[in-house]
Amino acid sequence: MQKSPILPGLRGQLPGIVYTLGLVGLVTVALYWILAVTGLTHGSALYLIPVLIAAVRWGMIPSIVAAFCGIVASAFFFFEPRFSLQIKDPHEVLNLILFTFTAIVVSQLATRLKHELEVARQREVDLSDLYAFSRRLAVAFDVSDIHAAIEDHLAAVMQRKVYLFGAQRDGAHRAGAGIPQQVISVVEALTAGSTENSGGHVVTSDSGEAWLVRAVSPKNREFGVIAINLGRTSTENRELLRSRVDAVLADATATLERLGVSRAISEARMRSQTEQLREALIGSVSHELRTPLASILGAATVLSSAPALAHESKLRALVQGVHDEAERLNGDIQNLLDASRISSDGVKPHLEWADPADILHSTLRSCQRRLADRVIALELPQDLPMVRIDAVLVQQALVQIIDNAVKYSQAGSRIAITGESRDGMLLLSVRDAGAGLSEAEKATIFNRFVRGERHALTTSGSGLGLWIASAFVTANGGQVNAISEGPGLGTTLTIELPAVQTAVPQLETDADE
Amino acid sequence: MQMSEPSPVVLVVDDEIQIRRFLRTGFELNGFVVHEAATGAEAIRAATLRPIDVAIVDLGLPDMDGSEVVERIRSWSNVPIIVLSVRSSEAQKVQLLEAGADDYIVKPFGMAELLARVRVSLRRQSRAASGEPTVVVGPLIIDLAARAVMLNGQRLTLTPKEYRLLQVLAQHAGNVVTHQHLLKEVWGSIHVHDTHYLRIFVRKLRQKIEPTPDMPRILLTELGVGYRLAQSADADNGVPVSP
Repeated sequence: MQKSPILPGLRGQLPGIVYTLGLVGLVTVALYWILAVTGLTHGSALYLIPVLIAAVRWGMIPSIVAAFCGIVASAFFFFEPRFSLQIKDPHEVLNLILFTFTAIVVSQLATRLKHELEVARQREVDLSDLYAFSRRLAVAFDVSDIHAAIEDHLAAVMQRKVYLFGAQRDGAHRAGAGIPQQVISVVEALTAGSTENSGGHVVTSDSGEAWLVRAVSPKNREFGVIAINLGRTSTENRELLRSRVDAVLADATATLERLGVSRAISEARMRSQTEQLREALIGSVSHELRTPLASILGAATVLSSAPALAHESKLRALVQGVHDEAERLNGDIQNLLDASRISSDGVKPHLEWADPADILHSTLRSCQRRLADRVIALELPQDLPMVRIDAVLVQQALVQIIDNAVKYSQAGSRIAITGESRDGMLLLSVRDAGAGLSEAEKATIFNRFVRGERHALTTSGSGLGLWIASAFVTANGGQVNAISEGPGLGTTLTIELPAVQTAVPQLETDADE
Repeated sequence: MQMSEPSPVVLVVDDEIQIRRFLRTGFELNGFVVHEAATGAEAIRAATLRPIDVAIVDLGLPDMDGSEVVERIRSWSNVPIIVLSVRSSEAQKVQLLEAGADDYIVKPFGMAELLARVRVSLRRQSRAASGEPTVVVGPLIIDLAARAVMLNGQRLTLTPKEYRLLQVLAQHAGNVVTHQHLLKEVWGSIHVHDTHYLRIFVRKLRQKIEPTPDMPRILLTELGVGYRLAQSADADNGVPVSP
């Protein structure tokens, strides 16, 4: 865009025209050969091909050049008398007129299409820039982050140097960045509000460069004032750029206002502080609770097998109650600890080669008691690929999923556990014949603190299980999916993990045996 | 424990009095003599003063790291040491096992579970002392002297590496053996990080020694830590699976 302003039109067209001439030449040679081989006499319609290509790729002027050259070449090479521009046959003159007409219409249409495409593409680039901008705003922490975001967004869209002067930003401080004094003074006048601002001011510096100075938003002074270096351009081009700046700023300010940026900033900051406090509290309280709980559980197991209670079945039942409740509490505390681990420092997987069968077996072993009154079907092919994952995390995710399956299914029902390798993925599925999921439940089951509302009275839990499972699997580069035919029709939860089979290091052969 | 034998002596090292209290009662009810220590220093002193048969060491001691206690005791004694650990610290468990602990148990645990671990360690100690050459796990018999492995009375053909793997596990029968230890013993120290060797050989070995390779009950996985040869191939090691 920053080419010399002198005759930008024609100079920009030059490569297109050269290519077009090449194409016409090519068609002429091809046509000459085709007519010689086939003995046909009419083929000049082929010249529509360069016309079309030129119109779509390089625009109006090259396509007209193509049409003109096509006519000349047809007359010269193919119409009797050959190798002269005269045409003998009136029939062929009519053909040529038709061709000219078609070529002009086609090139018009194609040029318009090209223009529409360019507009659409530009719009798409603008939209994706705007999207990136709003995403950046969403993570901005303070005013200077936001100003930097606006500055970068405008610079990206306009492809020009953009400086933003916020309410607190000192114009003099920025003078070092090579901004002419005339521009600074206009900026200061605008910031102070002493100058009327509508479309902005164009200032021409001593070096002849044009600068556009205007407020980011005429309504909201908070967003600051920008100065854009337009370079040395014609007045006409300058107006074009200026309307483009208007459009970009309108989009940007709409985004800023929609996000309620300044309010959002302070809210976000407060939220993250309370969140951190809450996590720390949960973490330390859970940790403190674990030790007494270990004493309670241990003591209960000693009591329940004590000879003194051997014939006291009622007392033994009480002790068993203490034990079971303590165990449940322990599970909840473990979940809270996992949750605070996920949200405080994130899960850092310890990747190692693992056999998926090992994970399934050890999961089943640790879920043994819970699965005692379910019918377990295990489908485990012999040739599952080794996977490079944190087996412990995946196992804990699987335990949560199995827990969930047990919780929402009837005693005596079937739970199928399947390992499968498909399309470079390892799939570990748990299918129950339990409560199933409604569409609404499907969308929220992996959220934190979400529990099946239909079952709130019959089941207990913190609503953390599947959230933890999903976080642990995600940390391994995988995901958990839920499938259900509907309420009452059972649920299948599948852990999908990448299984890069080719990356398994070659095993040293057993040849030494 | 049979009462005809002299009572085994257990040293319980934990700074939580309630934990020591239930462990004391639990062990005494099962015929053990119990010594207690609340700190690492006390533990080391107790272990030097009197002969002990097994030590239970908690990781969170106030004065020194659990692994230091293990290393210090290990420097002069090969008494079985069982570590009380917490979940989600596999790396720490491995480090303790490498430092010389025989096994670990995750808090909270039941008394029966701990007693089973302790008995395995005591049995291993006495087998080592008496030179008993066979290890029996349900239908599987490993004769370490004759280098023979029988399943349901049928002699199995194992490759030398498969046998070596099983042999190392059998020498620690009932206790967990870390991946690193197995890799070093079977493939040599340059391969201690090639855990995929181990996975593939365990798969092959299970096909031969497990009555139901789909649901292993003999060669058990301790995820993130290592493998364990079960002390018996009973139903506790797995879930009954319907076809």
